[in-house]
Amino acid sequence: MSEPSAVEERPSHLKHYFVDSDQQFDSAKMGMWVFLVTEILFFGGLFAAYIVYRSWYPELFLMASTELDVFWGTVNTAVLIGSSLTVAMAIRSAQLNQIKGLIINLWITIGLAFVFMVIKYFEYVDKFGKGIFPGEYYAYEGIAHEKANIFFSIYYMMTGLHGIHVIIGIGLMLWLVVKAKKGVFSSKYYTHVEITGLYWHLVDVIWIFLFPLLYLID
Amino acid sequence: MSDHHISSAKFLWGVGISLFFLTFITVAVTWIQIPAPWNVVVAIAIATVKAGIVVTFFMNLYWDAKFNTLLLIMGFAFFLLLIGITLLDTLFRIDPIPSF
Repeated sequence: MSEPSAVEERPSHLKHYFVDSDQQFDSAKMGMWVFLVTEILFFGGLFAAYIVYRSWYPELFLMASTELDVFWGTVNTAVLIGSSLTVAMAIRSAQLNQIKGLIINLWITIGLAFVFMVIKYFEYVDKFGKGIFPGEYYAYEGIAHEKANIFFSIYYMMTGLHGIHVIIGIGLMLWLVVKAKKGVFSSKYYTHVEITGLYWHLVDVIWIFLFPLLYLID
Repeated sequence: MSDHHISSAKFLWGVGISLFFLTFITVAVTWIQIPAPWNVVVAIAIATVKAGIVVTFFMNLYWDAKFNTLLLIMGFAFFLLLIGITLLDTLFRIDPIPSF
């Protein structure tokens, strides 16, 4: 029962209300999973809207999805999967105490996320140019369906909310780079990297469902 | 912090390549015209397999505390409940929707 010495051995990153680093790490991770559940239900509302409207207007979804570019959708899917891979590699680097590798992998992930957003930007601009706006601002004549705006309202809401998550992910990744450069992370303490990784993978998972549901209907 | 699972780089690349391959399959199945509703079923099935691979091996649920898997399953179950109850209404309306 040498309590004083045990107190001295506590690493600086360990909060006083945790028994040890493992408990702190596992608690943070569980908290993140709880947050991811709320994210699933957050997007779940939009997926529900998609399913309801698709069951009402199946022919509209067939027609309208041809306006989306399958090629760029596929490229973006590959880009996001690639970024999930680099995040997993970043976590591996942190676990092995390779801080330089961690920073490089984070930068590649940020780059891929940026590529994703640039492609998304050009897809949006292309549609805006045709007058495809969400809701009542819809002004495109090319789809012979009176409810054509509904598909694109759902498209903009789902890809827009997903895009916001990608932008937040870029911000988190930059924050990790700053922290990593300050020497905060080591194989003993990389909770932020692990947890941001979980978030990033979930953003990838949501896109994995959005891609076939929006781009590949026909 | 020594008992955390560390995936080898080779393994992570294997997972990534299998995901790229399944993305290709997702697109390729649209080239052969599968009759509806099976095209949707196939697309969702492949997406579910991909999502399963990501959560199991990228998000480390395979090696993680089982409670986190339980959280994910609960989240998914409530999502299905949301859709199921909503469809019980919307699928059985005589006059589908008012004005939108």
